[in-house]
Amino acid sequence: MKIGALRGRKIFGHLFRDIYLFHRLYYMKILIIEDERELSASICAYLKNEKFFCEAAYDFSSAIEKISLYEYACIILDISLPGGSGMDILKELKANNKADGVLIVSAKNSLDDKVSGLKSGADDYLTKPFYLPELGARVAAIIRRKSFDGNNFLQFGGLLLNLDEKTVKANHKILDLTRKEYDLLLYFISNKNKVISKGAIAEHLWGDDMDMADNYDFIYTHIKNLRKKILQAGCHDYIKSVYGMGYRFTI
Amino acid sequence: MNNMKLLTKYSRINLVSSVVIFLLASIAFYILLRFVLINQVDEDLKIEEHEIEMYVEKFGRLPEPMPLKDQKIYYFLVSVHTKERTFSNIIPPEPPGNKQEKFRQLKFFIAVKGQWYQVFVEKSLEGTYDISRSIIIISLATIIVMLAAGFIINRLLLRRLWQPFYTSLSLMKEFQLGQTQLIPFKDTNIDEFNDLNKTLEQSIKSAEREYQQLKEFTENASHELQTPLAVIRSKMDVLIQDEKLSESQSHLIQSAYEAIQKLARLNQSMLLLNKIENRQFSETSATDIKQLIEQKLVYFKELLSVKNVTATSKLGEVVKRMNVSLAEILLNNLFSNAIKYTPDGGKINIMLSESSMIFRNTSENENPLDKAKLFNRFYKGELSSENHGLGLSIVKQICSVSQFSVEYKFSCGEHSFEVLFTPPQ
Repeated sequence: MKIGALRGRKIFGHLFRDIYLFHRLYYMKILIIEDERELSASICAYLKNEKFFCEAAYDFSSAIEKISLYEYACIILDISLPGGSGMDILKELKANNKADGVLIVSAKNSLDDKVSGLKSGADDYLTKPFYLPELGARVAAIIRRKSFDGNNFLQFGGLLLNLDEKTVKANHKILDLTRKEYDLLLYFISNKNKVISKGAIAEHLWGDDMDMADNYDFIYTHIKNLRKKILQAGCHDYIKSVYGMGYRFTI
Repeated sequence: MNNMKLLTKYSRINLVSSVVIFLLASIAFYILLRFVLINQVDEDLKIEEHEIEMYVEKFGRLPEPMPLKDQKIYYFLVSVHTKERTFSNIIPPEPPGNKQEKFRQLKFFIAVKGQWYQVFVEKSLEGTYDISRSIIIISLATIIVMLAAGFIINRLLLRRLWQPFYTSLSLMKEFQLGQTQLIPFKDTNIDEFNDLNKTLEQSIKSAEREYQQLKEFTENASHELQTPLAVIRSKMDVLIQDEKLSESQSHLIQSAYEAIQKLARLNQSMLLLNKIENRQFSETSATDIKQLIEQKLVYFKELLSVKNVTATSKLGEVVKRMNVSLAEILLNNLFSNAIKYTPDGGKINIMLSESSMIFRNTSENENPLDKAKLFNRFYKGELSSENHGLGLSIVKQICSVSQFSVEYKFSCGEHSFEVLFTPPQ
């Protein structure tokens, strides 16, 4: 009985370890350090998919604990936390030579924060309130940079993006895309299978101080051109319109 | 109502009243002097009369008339006589060429051995006039010298006395709400000015305090709004992923989504304005304006082409010392303003020179915008119900912290926003 229980525990232990290892190999973990639980939950709901797995820390001490125990592909870090500053977490990471990518999110759109954050080793900076697709694109970019394995290419369907040269090939032919069309395509691929609102697209392409009210005609024109070029290159129509609300990029 | 300086006004009143008083005094003085002098002459004439009477009494005949230069005595035999004795001023006839002189004449009657004579005693008034003229000239000269001296002394003295006032005034002119340092008012030894300075200091302090509170409130409110906005927006972004949404639900969500967008942008603009006011963009460097405009022209190329708007530019090599982020925000605002309000197929023209940067765009109609309110916060033109109305106040605020000025003009159906690279007057 005792032995059986022990063996059982061992078997289960192995199983758990295997699942954990498989999990580590297959999944990429993202840590969301954000005291606003609802925001944290949204980020998690948006990011988690067959490849990403999210963990949440709601205060300073649990965040410190988590970063000392595990490694994350990307840490989404809020600067103002109960119990301490996100900056100190950043310093802790760097002091321990952790290679985790860090994306700072802050309610303070302050240049000083941004500069000191990036200087302290953060990879990117995003101001609240952000669009989740924007966050998704930034996280994807950080993970791409961190898992850089010699070739900086990104494949989606029949499209092959060269991230260094910022060119796109389809069927061995280079697509003639404008800078904005390339940005838009990369944005779509970074948020594949997600519905992206027009507002998020506009802000991604023209920045947040571009106040064009609710005139999204220009986005429509952009999408139309990009779609045309992808179709001409012999690929499928990856861009699906969703009730005029936004677009979904999917195979 | 023509305004003048206190000093000028005081000097003017002082001068006019002194002149009037002195003039009246001079006239009175002249009349009095004349009266006294003539009286003196009359006394002399009376003495003369007395001497003649004594002579007649003593010798029983009239004295020989002795023609002197300034005194004449002559008699006429008369049949009718009176007791009366009269003084009068006369100008005796002189042969032409001679100087006409005024004389004081005394007429009286005297009996010499039963015969009545009318006696004329005349004394020249020329000497009297000479004296009075000299006295008048001397007194007038004194008056003029005194007036001039008074005027100059007053001016110097008053300027000195009012100096603390002008110092405080110029300090007040330089004062701007939101600059944290207090005005260094100087202590004076004059109670009124000390009082004034103290009052000014107190009102500035309380204005400053209220301004700070208001600013902090706006800042805190905006900051506190960021997180709930982030939550709502993120929930929306998650919600639209739902594949079970119907078309009508999607439309509802979209409306809410757009409203949040507006709110987020408004909040962001308020934070930005606050930051500019708090001088958080104080770091300046040599900024190549031409290069920035060229970048923006490329950046906004697609937006222009969607609206079929042609943008032309004439850009000189211009480098200004300012904050780079502010320069970008300034250009973004001017560009988006121009693009937004140019009708389809319209034109945008940008001119950059050492002295100014001008954004011109064709207008939808012939109505100029309200110059007085245009740069105010939350000003909305006819077309901009979608707009939060902070864009141009951001432009104005950036210009003001960068020591530039901005003007709006409307001519030939074109709106023009002109940024002058010189501080406002």
